[in-house]
Amino acid sequence: MEVNITYETQDIWTWWFAVYLYTGGLGAAVVAVTFFTDMYLKAHRNLVLWGAGAGFVLLSLGSLMLFWHLLDHLAVIHVFNPLAMFNQPMAWIAWGTQFILWMMIFAVLYAIPYARVTPLFQNAPLLGKALEWGFVVKLSDFVEKYRKLFGWLAVATGVGVAVYTGLLLQSFPAVALWANPGVVVLFTVSAFSTAMAFLLLIMYTIIKDDADEHLRVLYERSDLGLIGAELLIILSFFFYLQRGPESAMRSWEILFTDLGWLIGFIGFGLIVPFFLELKGVIKGWTSHAPIIAASIFVLVGGYLLRHYFMYAGVYAYPW
Amino acid sequence: MAKYAMVIDLNTCVGCNACMAACTLENQMPVGQIEEDGEIKWDTTKWRTYVHDEEIGVGNDVHRRFFPRLCNHCDNPPCMSVCPTGATYKTDDGFVLVNEDLCMGCQACAMACPYKARVDITYADVRQGKEFYGSDYRRTRPSVDKCSFCNHRVEKGLKPACVETCVGESRMFGDLDNPEDPVAQMVASGEAQPLMPHIGTRPNVYYINDMKRRG
Repeated sequence: MEVNITYETQDIWTWWFAVYLYTGGLGAAVVAVTFFTDMYLKAHRNLVLWGAGAGFVLLSLGSLMLFWHLLDHLAVIHVFNPLAMFNQPMAWIAWGTQFILWMMIFAVLYAIPYARVTPLFQNAPLLGKALEWGFVVKLSDFVEKYRKLFGWLAVATGVGVAVYTGLLLQSFPAVALWANPGVVVLFTVSAFSTAMAFLLLIMYTIIKDDADEHLRVLYERSDLGLIGAELLIILSFFFYLQRGPESAMRSWEILFTDLGWLIGFIGFGLIVPFFLELKGVIKGWTSHAPIIAASIFVLVGGYLLRHYFMYAGVYAYPW
Repeated sequence: MAKYAMVIDLNTCVGCNACMAACTLENQMPVGQIEEDGEIKWDTTKWRTYVHDEEIGVGNDVHRRFFPRLCNHCDNPPCMSVCPTGATYKTDDGFVLVNEDLCMGCQACAMACPYKARVDITYADVRQGKEFYGSDYRRTRPSVDKCSFCNHRVEKGLKPACVETCVGESRMFGDLDNPEDPVAQMVASGEAQPLMPHIGTRPNVYYINDMKRRG
């Protein structure tokens, strides 16, 4: 049938949803990386406390963004039911909600034994007392005993959250930019890249412990690999969108003619930090400033990626 | 068990928009007004069905087409599969419906729908609806609403409101499982075609091409 095709972007899930995807992926990956580091590379109290704290705050912020925009806030109770995942197995929000919820719980539990021996928490007005409650002490001992189990539960749910942010967009079949497996890989890689950048920033500006040098180098190298992978995925999106269905070509026109995407995200969010970190890995830097700058660029780029992805999704309507 | 479907004949739609009005009143949709080009008009963005007034063709071979759209009650509805609470569901006889009590209004369904058929009903819409429709008003809470094929009428043996009111008999409603039903025959013959079948939604609203008869 001959039809006029109208191309439209959406105004339902906009910048606030990009914040949800960004903070969700970043927070979850920070928890996964710090806990994995603590379990297998170097026991690191400060890193775990930073990871758990940042993960909790970031995921709370993202979840609040989604909650704030619900049409019926009270009905959110239905999605907290774990059975929702099995009743609606293709509804990624149902899975994501459970992953987010349990990841936050496991992150706090894993951090409790460290928090109990940290002066900042011990001296905190209410928290200090709460950490000495009999129930909390028993819980802390229990977590200590099964430390790796709780660590792995947090890591697994954290990876689940990062993957979920891509799966959610992939489940919308009308938009070629979203309905492809590349989104899941891109968002997962980006989540871990921004997590590495976040941790490098914390380690260079706040923790500042020279004994962590091997960890910082490892994170830099990991981030370099992740940024490289992200560039490769973006390149494949470039070709896929350019020669894809009409919806894809419209998305290509939006993205690859926009200076915010080209210079902001690809330029400063990927290419500049890639070369800054590459130089650091090959020849090293005499100062930490270039890696700190690269980390900031990667963090801003991570948000821009999701922001542009939300705005560049094109629907093709046959009227 | 019936399998309900709608056929829309684009040759006979005259663009009177009676279907939009009938549906809106039958289903108590929001009745806000907006100012456009100095005129006060109904805000149709929150109505379940809409008739597009468009030109089709090129050069001298251009004609005016009225193109009604609504929920396609897909057999593989993406709005249902992405719904995290199970608020959107499909009945055995083909209606894709919304359980308002379960809907939290995340609007994932609106993002998933390729036919732009989901409508957000807010607290403000519910308040306004109470004022406009009075004590008959049925809505109690916000939700992401959609066409129900007027299942409440169909269950009583009536046609959907939009079909009942269609002066050009452009909208036809029937049972695909009944080989004697004219709607089933138009679909089986291929005379009526679905929209965007390549997306894999397996829609149950079919259109009869108006360009063929113009030859």
